[in-house]
Amino acid sequence: MNGIHDLGGMHGLGPIDREADEPYFHEKWESRVFGLFFANFAQGHFNVDQFRHAIEHMAPAEYLNTSYYEHWLHAFERLLDEKGIVTAEELDRKQAELTAGGA
Amino acid sequence: MAHDHNHNAPPSDTAMRVKALETLLTEKGLVDPAAIDSLVELYETKVGPRNGARVVARAWTDPDYKARLLEDGTAAIAELGFSGVQGEDMVVVENTDDVHNMVVCTLCSCYPWPTLGLPPVWYKSAPYRARAVSDPRGVLDEFGVTLPDDMEIRVWDSNAELRYLVLPSRPAGTENMSEDELADLVSRDSMIGTAVVDTPAS
Amino acid sequence: MPLLTTEIVPGLVSGGASCRMDADVAPKFKVGDKVQAININPTSHTRLPRYIRGKTGTVTRDHGVFAFPDTSTSGVHQDPQHVYSVRFEGEELWGADANANSSLYIDLFDNYLVPA
Repeated sequence: MNGIHDLGGMHGLGPIDREADEPYFHEKWESRVFGLFFANFAQGHFNVDQFRHAIEHMAPAEYLNTSYYEHWLHAFERLLDEKGIVTAEELDRKQAELTAGGA
Repeated sequence: MAHDHNHNAPPSDTAMRVKALETLLTEKGLVDPAAIDSLVELYETKVGPRNGARVVARAWTDPDYKARLLEDGTAAIAELGFSGVQGEDMVVVENTDDVHNMVVCTLCSCYPWPTLGLPPVWYKSAPYRARAVSDPRGVLDEFGVTLPDDMEIRVWDSNAELRYLVLPSRPAGTENMSEDELADLVSRDSMIGTAVVDTPAS
Repeated sequence: MPLLTTEIVPGLVSGGASCRMDADVAPKFKVGDKVQAININPTSHTRLPRYIRGKTGTVTRDHGVFAFPDTSTSGVHQDPQHVYSVRFEGEELWGADANANSSLYIDLFDNYLVPA
């Protein structure tokens, strides 16, 4: 699809910011997202092409304003909800429950 | 989408959402959190650019290996044991006096994990992905690398399942170095193509 | 649907999951051929970026037979076909605003190409 992900040649995106000696994961949740890809892939919930296409469906402004692992999370949510494995409602409920519980 | 850099602050929304997702998948018996722990540990400790640096150092010191590497990157890299996820099908491209190579994935962030580890944020960022293909000389200037105009620049867009590794030029003044010492000189960025390997200061 | 466990992790990571397909499919092109990327604008998944569509380049390598990504979103690897490293000159892609002495190499499937 002609989505925002198809960035080759685009102008106006600013300088390339670099961090010296950066870790693989800047937050712990990123490392869990990384591992969840393998776990979901091994289970056969999606292949890499489906995973990429799910990210391509992100709203352009959101895509540009979120980080790489947030893109992965978006893809998991979309694909798992589509397959009824984890619905959006279940996820919202569990997130609210964990937040309220001060976990 | 908050990024929580203050570790005394409460978890961000994103952190909680990920925790919720992992918890649900675990409760449903679909995820084993210990497997995620071991994956993260494996990548953080064993999978990094030192692997690619060893490939480069071997190519610099063994002309037959270098020839095999350029002909069939997958097989030659496998000889050194650096195969695997996101490196199943490898192509190695050589920098010379006449040609400089640079690698990007404009459509997402494809990168050769087994030889270079996980990609840095800048490689996955929109400005790099956009400009590497249309203004590679400008991008290299930002990285502090100036190429003469008569040097050809080749950019490789990793849009399919081949993964690309740049074989940097071996600098002068390294003739008596061991393979290990040579590997120490090879930076991750030199194998992406946004840096060169300089002659070591004596 | 195997659960990913700690025991499986090392083998999965070192083995990977290549998209090569063991299919005896003839290539449409050979090294040296001039090819043109087709002009498609699907709303479905494609790995043919906009900046390449309609442009003319040269086949420099045949990588062999791989699953076609555009249809792999069905969940099944299918449409095995050759994929080539195709070289495009900077000016072909970007016109007068291209960098001097620059070229772009991208991996294009048989389905993306017509003879030029």
